[in-house]
Amino acid sequence: MIETKNLTKRYGSLLAVNRLNLFVPKGTIFGFIGPNGAGKTTTIKMLAGLIEPDDGKIIIRDMDIRQDPEKAKQQIGFIPDRPYLYEKLTGLEFLKFTADLYGVEPSGFLKKAESLLDMFSLIDWKNELIEAYSHGMKQRLIMSAAILHDPKIIIVDEPMIGLDPAGIKMVKNLFRELADSGVTFFISTHTLSIAQDLCDKIGIIQKGRLIATGTLDDLKIQAHASSGDLESVFLKLTREESFHQGYSDVPGVSP
Amino acid sequence: MNDILTLMTPRLLSFRNKKGNTARLLLLGIIGVAFWGGLFAVSLRLLSYFQSIEELGNILAWKLLSMVMVIYFSLLVFSSILTALSKLFLSKDLLLVHAMPVKTYKIFCARWIESAVDSSWTIIIFTLPVLISYGIVFKAGLFFYILILLVLLLLSLIASIISAVVVMVTVIIIPPGRIKSVFVFLGLLLFLLLYLAFRVVRPERLVDPEAFESFLSYLKILQTPSAPYLPSTWAFDAIQASLTGITHTLYLNFSLLAACGGAMIFISLIIADAIYMKGVSKSQTARKTLRKPRVPQNPRVLSFLPMHVQAYVIKEIKVFFRDQTQWSQIFLILALIVIYIYNFKVLPLERAPIKTVYLQNILAFLNIGLASFVLTAITGRFAYPAVSLEGEAFWIVASSPIRLKTFLWIKYFIYFVPLLILTEGLIIATNILLQVSPFMMWLSIITILFIVPTVVALGIGLGAAYPDFNSENAAQAITSFGGLIFMMIAAVYITAVISLEAGPVYRIFMSGIYDRSIHMSQWVWIFGAFTLAVLISIFTVIFSMTYGVRRLTRISRRME
Repeated sequence: MIETKNLTKRYGSLLAVNRLNLFVPKGTIFGFIGPNGAGKTTTIKMLAGLIEPDDGKIIIRDMDIRQDPEKAKQQIGFIPDRPYLYEKLTGLEFLKFTADLYGVEPSGFLKKAESLLDMFSLIDWKNELIEAYSHGMKQRLIMSAAILHDPKIIIVDEPMIGLDPAGIKMVKNLFRELADSGVTFFISTHTLSIAQDLCDKIGIIQKGRLIATGTLDDLKIQAHASSGDLESVFLKLTREESFHQGYSDVPGVSP
Repeated sequence: MNDILTLMTPRLLSFRNKKGNTARLLLLGIIGVAFWGGLFAVSLRLLSYFQSIEELGNILAWKLLSMVMVIYFSLLVFSSILTALSKLFLSKDLLLVHAMPVKTYKIFCARWIESAVDSSWTIIIFTLPVLISYGIVFKAGLFFYILILLVLLLLSLIASIISAVVVMVTVIIIPPGRIKSVFVFLGLLLFLLLYLAFRVVRPERLVDPEAFESFLSYLKILQTPSAPYLPSTWAFDAIQASLTGITHTLYLNFSLLAACGGAMIFISLIIADAIYMKGVSKSQTARKTLRKPRVPQNPRVLSFLPMHVQAYVIKEIKVFFRDQTQWSQIFLILALIVIYIYNFKVLPLERAPIKTVYLQNILAFLNIGLASFVLTAITGRFAYPAVSLEGEAFWIVASSPIRLKTFLWIKYFIYFVPLLILTEGLIIATNILLQVSPFMMWLSIITILFIVPTVVALGIGLGAAYPDFNSENAAQAITSFGGLIFMMIAAVYITAVISLEAGPVYRIFMSGIYDRSIHMSQWVWIFGAFTLAVLISIFTVIFSMTYGVRRLTRISRRME
C-alpha cells in the first residue's frame, strides 16, 4: 500500500503540493487527476523517490521512503511520462541492466525478459539500439523494465502517451491483472476516460491540494451530481474549487 | 526580413532571460581577459623581436600573419560545419520551426545567422589581439583597425556559408547523425597529421648551428606565395597592403572578399531553397542499426562484483564504446601519448652542458608533473563528464534502489583503473627511455599511485557536483564552470605534491651521487613532506567525492 501524510513540496514561493494525505490499499489502481500544474508530477516524483518532500511522510509498504529510500525503491516500478533511456544500449541489454540493478535472478532473466518483450510487441526489436525505437516503443520498453523485477507498487506518469489503441488495450488488461494479483498502482493521467475505465479509486488534485477522493460514485456525491461521467464530475469539482479559492480572500463574499 | 527576425526571437529572448551566476561569469570573464591579454603580450613581444632582426624580420612577420589567416579560416570552416550541422539538421526545435508557414530559405537564413555568430565570435575575439599587435608594431592608423574587423567579419561570413553549403549537400548523401562523427573524426585526424608532421620535422634542430644550412632552405620555403584563390590569402594580402601602404592591392583584395561574401549569400540561398528541405526530411527518418543478435551476459571477469555494480560497469563500457565521438577522442589521446613518449626518445641528453645523470633525473622528476597534467586533461575529457553523460536518463539512476554514493563510487572505479594503468605506463615508459635511477623510478611510480586516485576523484566528484544533464556534447562539459574549477584545483594539487616532494627528493638524490649521509633532522623533514603529500591526496579524494555525492543528491532531489 501507499500512504502519504501531510506531504508538502514548495518551489520557491510556489506551493506545488500542499499537505497531501492519501491512502491507497494493496491491489488498488488509484488514478490521480488534476488540471495542468496542479502538482500531479511533483507528487509522482516524490512517491518514486526522485525528489524529496519539504515536509510530510511517504509510506511504501510500511517503509518510510525518506528513512530507507533504497529498500522502498526496490518495491517500486516507475514509469515516467517521457521515455529517456540509454540510447546506445539494445532493448534486451537495457532489460538486463535493469534486472541486475534490481537484483533479478540471472537464471530466469532471459525467459522473463523475452516474454515481456513479446507481450509489448518488442521481440523483433530486442537487439536493436534504443536510438532506433519510436516514442511509443521506448514507452513500452520502460513498462517492460518497470515490471521485470515484480514490484509490489507501480507508479505511472501518463501511462498511455505514445501507445497505439492495441497497446492501450493490452496495458489496461495487464494493469488489471497485476492489480488483481495484489500489485498497487498509482497512476497520474490527463486522460479521464482511462481513469474512469481503469481505476478503482480516483483522487483529484488542484493547486497542490487534494479536493476530492474516492470511487466514481463517491466523487459524484461530492460533486452533487447524480449522473454523468468522470469528465463532467471533474470539471464541476475543479470549477467549484476555483470559485471557492477565488473568493475566499474577499471579505464579505461567500461562494 | 521580418520572418527571419521572428524566427530568431526565441534565441534572442532565451539569451536575455538566461539567469547567469555572477561569480561564475566574473571568473570566466577574468580567465578570458587574462588569456586575451596574454595572447596580446606574446604577439606584441614576438613581432617587436621580429622587427629587430634585419631583413629577416619582415619575412617572419608576414609568414606569421599568413599562417594566422589560414588557421583562422580553417578553424572557422571546421567549427562552422559542426554548428551548421546542429543548427540546420539536429536541433530539437526543428520540427516546430519547419511546421510554421515560412519559406524554407528564410528558415535557412535565420539558422545560418545563428550558426555563423555561434561558431565565429570566440575565434574573432581571440584573433584580434594578434592583429592589433601588427597595427601597433607597424604603427598603423585608425583605418587599419576598422579594416581588420571588417576582414575578420567577411572571412567568418564566407567560412560559415561554405560550411552551410557543404553540410546541406552532404546531408543528402549521409545521415546527419553520422556526419557529425565523420567531421569530428576528420578534424582530429587533420590536427594529428599536422602535429605529427611538425613533430617529425623536429623544429628544435633549427636552433642547432650544425643544422643551419637546412634553416636557410627553410627560409626559402617561408617566402613561397600562398594559394591565390583562398579567401584567407585575400585577407592576408589586404591586411599586409594596409600595413605597407600599397593602396591598390588593398582595394583589390578587400573587394574580392566583399564580392565573394555577397555572391555566396545569394548562391547559398538558392541552394537552400532547392535542397535544404530535402535534407531536413531525410534527417527525420528513423535510424535503424541492425546488430548481431546476442544474449546479454555479464563477463566472468566481473563476477566478483555485486550485480548492481556489474550492471553499471557493463552499461558504462557499452555506451562509451558505441559512441563514435568518444572513439575519435581515444585515437587523439593515444596519438598524443605516442608523441609524448617520442619526445623523450629524441631528447639530445648527451649534448647537454650539464651532467647527464643529473639531467635525466631532473627530467624524470618533472615528468611526474607533466604526466599528471596529461592525466588531468584526460580525466577532464572522460571522467569529468561521466555523470553528465547520464543525461535525461538520470531518472533511471535516481529511481533505482542504489544509493547515489554507490553510483558515484562505481563511476569512480570505472575510470580509475584504466587511467591508473595509462599513467603508470606512461611514466614507466618515459623513465626507461631516460634511463633513470631505481630510486627515481620507484618515486615516480608511487607518486603517480597517489596522484591518479586523487585527480580521478576530483573529476568524478566535481563532475557530479556540477552536472549538465542537458548537454548534447560531452566534450564541452570541461569548458563549464565546474570544469574550470576541476582544472584549477587539479593544477594546484599537482603543484603542491611536486613542490612538497622536490626538496626531499633533491636531498636524497644528491646524497646518493656524492655519497653524503642524511642527518636525523633531514629524515624527519623528508618523512614530514611525503606524509603531508599523502595526507593532502587522501583528504582531496574524500572531500571531492563527499562533495560530489552531497551536491548531486541535493540537485537530483530538487529537479523538477
